[in-house]
Order: sequence, then C-alpha cells, then structure tokens
Amino acid sequence: MELSYEVKDSYAEIRAAGRLNMVSAPKLREFVADVVASGSSRIVVNLEDTAFMDSSGLGALIGCLKAARQAGGDLRIAAVQPQVRMVLELTSMDRVLTSYASAAEAFGND
Amino acid sequence: MTDALARRSFRDRATPEAIDSVHNQLDALWEDASFVPDMDRMTFATAVIEASANVVQHAVPESAAPVELGVDISIRETSLEARVSAFGAARPDSGETEPGMPGDDAESGRGLALIRALVTTVTFTRQDGTNVWILSRDSTPA
Repeated sequence: MELSYEVKDSYAEIRAAGRLNMVSAPKLREFVADVVASGSSRIVVNLEDTAFMDSSGLGALIGCLKAARQAGGDLRIAAVQPQVRMVLELTSMDRVLTSYASAAEAFGND
Repeated sequence: MTDALARRSFRDRATPEAIDSVHNQLDALWEDASFVPDMDRMTFATAVIEASANVVQHAVPESAAPVELGVDISIRETSLEARVSAFGAARPDSGETEPGMPGDDAESGRGLALIRALVTTVTFTRQDGTNVWILSRDSTPA
C-alpha cells in the first residue's frame, strides 16, 4: 500500500492506494498517528485507490478515527470503492465511519 | 461433484506477507474463471483473505516448527470453494469464538462474523493434525 498526504485549508487528506490488509494496516495506523502528531486532527482518508480492505484494515481505520477524535478532530473517508463499501456495510461500520463522495466534501460543511 | 474449472494452491510459512501472495493468486485465478460474477469474486476473495489472516494471526504452533498456511481453491460452475489450512497448528480452543460483531469501538474481532456473512457455508475440521476451514459460496454464472 502506498500512503501519502497533503495538508489542505481545513483538513489533511491521506491517500491510501492498494490493499488495506494485515500487512498495511499497521503502516496506516502509524502514518495517521504521525499526521495527527504534526498538528492535523481533521483527517480525510481518500480510498479511491483502495481496491480491497479486510477486517484488520477496518480495525486500523477505527483506531485512526479514535486517534483523530482524541486530538480534538475527526476522521472521515471518501471515494469508497465497492469492496470496501461491502465490508463497511456487512460490519455495520458504515454508521461509524462516515463516507463522502470526495475528499473535498468530507469537511465541506463545517 | 463436477470437476473444478479452475484451481489454485498455495502453501508457505504463515506470515503477514503470505496474505499478499494468496491475494495475488486470487486475482490471477479470475483470469481462468471469467464466468464468475464480480459480486461473487469480491465476496469469496474477501472471505478467503479473512480466513488466511485468521491463521496468520491466531494459529499457535504445535511443535517447534512454524505454522504453515495452505489455501486450495476450486472453482466450479455453480460453487466457489476454498480450503484454508493451518499446518502444524495446535487444535484451537474449544468453544467457538462468538460469531457476532463486537462493539463499534473495537479494532478487532470482526473477521469470523464477516466470513459467515460472505459465504454460504463455513465448516471447521481437524484432519491429521491440521486445522482446516472449508469456505463455500454458491455462485450463479453471469
């Protein structure tokens, strides 16, 4: 999985490209923790190029959400692809991890 | 049972990197089984990866030798089957893990419930000292 980030006006956008599985999940946790530690706690994880996510990847996103909220911010996801949407729905975590059509819309109204 | 139209087999040390190898095999498999609808590919592949990851994370070696992960996939016209084996693993604790989903805050514990939601049947057997999960999903050709 390739991870990169860009600080925008009111949030930091993290792009995660590849498979979010037990190999990459710890890397995502570490990456987001570093972004939060650098001062950005409003995070959008852009999943446009995340073709696959398993339960360890989902666990990492939940951990990152908690880290962002503990720092006073939030974590939202954008551009969710069909397999990731399926995992979110089957685990009912689509109620917890709010998804938006694009990264720009995720914090568009606050 | 009819003969399989496509097969893949994998066996290696049960390490996190093995999961990516299994995934690469699954991706290549669909080239030989283009009749399988996208939805069935997606659900079946997710279940196979979950079960494989479960072996890597939870299998305990029975002896000094490390646990090996085996994945054998058979694709038939109307069914997709995977045997996910933990070679050299101790018998898992009796009393199956609670299959329900954990609380919203939990960062783990969803794998088994997810597998059950993705496939038609899941069975567990212990054969000759090997733990074997058999996942089967009914499929209707596109």
